[in-house]
Amino acid sequence: MSKTPTIITGTVGMDVHVIGTKVISRALRESGFKVVELGMQVTPEEFISVAQETKADAILMSSLYGMAELDLKDFNQKRLEAGLNDILLYIGGNLVIGRYDPKEIEPKFKALGFDRVYPPGIDAEIGIEDLKKDLKARGKM
Amino acid sequence: MKKMRIVNKRLDDDLLMKKRREVLDKWPTGKEVDFEEAAAYQKSLPDSKVWWKVMAKLREEGRMSVFPRAGTPVLEKMIELCQGLRESGVLLIPVTTDSYTRLGQFEKVQGILDECNKTGKALLNGYPIINQGVKQTRKLVESVDAAFSPRGVSSEICIASGLTTYECGLEFITWAAYSKKMTIRELVEKWQNETRVAGWYADRGVILCTDLHGWLPTAPFPLSVNIVTLILQALTAAEQGLKAIYPLVHCMGNMTQDMAWIRLTPKLIREYLDKFGYKDCQIIGCCPAQTPLFPNPMDMGGAFAYLCYIAMVGSLCKCNATDLRSIDEAAGVPTKDTNTVSYSAARWIFNVIREQNIDFHIKGIEEEEKITRMEVEAIINRILDLGDGDVIDGLIKAVEGGVMDSPWSPNITVKDKVLGVRDAHGACRYLEFGNLPFSNQLKEWHRGKIAEREKIEGKKADYHTAVRDLWSFSKGKIVGLPPYDK
Repeated sequence: MSKTPTIITGTVGMDVHVIGTKVISRALRESGFKVVELGMQVTPEEFISVAQETKADAILMSSLYGMAELDLKDFNQKRLEAGLNDILLYIGGNLVIGRYDPKEIEPKFKALGFDRVYPPGIDAEIGIEDLKKDLKARGKM
Repeated sequence: MKKMRIVNKRLDDDLLMKKRREVLDKWPTGKEVDFEEAAAYQKSLPDSKVWWKVMAKLREEGRMSVFPRAGTPVLEKMIELCQGLRESGVLLIPVTTDSYTRLGQFEKVQGILDECNKTGKALLNGYPIINQGVKQTRKLVESVDAAFSPRGVSSEICIASGLTTYECGLEFITWAAYSKKMTIRELVEKWQNETRVAGWYADRGVILCTDLHGWLPTAPFPLSVNIVTLILQALTAAEQGLKAIYPLVHCMGNMTQDMAWIRLTPKLIREYLDKFGYKDCQIIGCCPAQTPLFPNPMDMGGAFAYLCYIAMVGSLCKCNATDLRSIDEAAGVPTKDTNTVSYSAARWIFNVIREQNIDFHIKGIEEEEKITRMEVEAIINRILDLGDGDVIDGLIKAVEGGVMDSPWSPNITVKDKVLGVRDAHGACRYLEFGNLPFSNQLKEWHRGKIAEREKIEGKKADYHTAVRDLWSFSKGKIVGLPPYDK
């Protein structure tokens, strides 16, 4: 019997751009996931504590204001300290300030612990297909 | 416990003075503000730095200026940025603050600002005006011959620095777009306090201008709720003594609808100000604004076209200003160069189109005006009922009950039971009405418009249609099947 994976969504840092997380949260629910929707302005610490509390399988973060890197400086270390070694981490949006090639910033965020990095304006379905694939690979679905 | 009734009544100045100091005590630079000296400094400013005078002059001369967005943390770079704007013809200059300043995280800002100053790098997405303080910011104001306006922060540090608009508590935009948990009651109290501060300066002969944003339509959504908030803000600010306002009109991309809203909004605000006895509060202009989602940072062509569209609509409607972002808006902090090309493009349209003073007739514009007016009047009448004639008491109850509502709200106290989609011509219509107090006739009108699109697309409009429409304008297609809809 397969269990229902728990996914946390939210906009990280001081960012208020919430629509992306609202869209993906609803799409995740419609795809059968259990969703913990934290909304806008979620601190990295809140993501970590909610992930511990809910035993979440993945965190899907959004950021549109260009300061995600600053917000997530210590995130990877803190989540490893919290024992969240096995959680999937996705992030998408306008992740840096300035005009950029999304391929160039991917390694930056992978180094911060993220498994997948998306440019702005991606359909929710694309992320959800990736999520299913990754969860299955880890035997969580 | 029954909550205390908040009404539209001028605040007591003794109470106000205490609160003003408390606000300034939040960061050491607040000590640089001496209220009477600030008023005297404001009075000493030349007309070219006084926002309402610049806008009035533009209107008289039949010209317009762009009101851009620009902010970078290091003072010298900020001066350079603003001088660049002035050179490209901008008379109305923004001091856009960074996201942390907007949230009052001054200690965090200080650490990053120190690093910015050391390295010369822009690590904040704006100018941290509170941490920079009065002395530093006066240097900025005195370096450029233009009027300055703070963006994203409301503090007397801005007034004392010589900025001549005042974002009175940032109004609805803070509550509905930047706050997760603030209630409408908290917003109203903040708004009354801050508008009274502007009123205090008006009593001393310093007229600070306030631009009203209202409750932002965060996605394709008709403007009627937004226009109601603009009217209520005008009425309640005027009660506190504010003397100069101008509305922003959030253009959504359907030209007929955008022009109807630009024509109607100042008219409606004037009517209600007069009706409630605030004849001395002047509406100093009308400013079409670039509000919906931007083209992504890599789509420079789209970003150019988008800003030129707003410049064009403003020019045709004979506005005196437009609220424009640069082509770098989606990329974050604009550089001097991208500002220059962006605003030269807008200025080109102002010079060529605005000065032709074109009279136009567009089919459908009267109908859009009529429908929006009916919607606005329906909501305001319900607010007055709910508040026993008091607009503030009624507003609080209206928001709490979803009589005023918005989709995709970041604020969790908003009902969020409404939804908008575009129709067959790209105009914004209500798909879900929630508790909006509209007659059946109005609802049927919207349904009829949406039905035309459904017929073309061969499927019912629903939540997924609304999701696809989120990107329609930024991807450059608002009519018919979006190109990304496979």
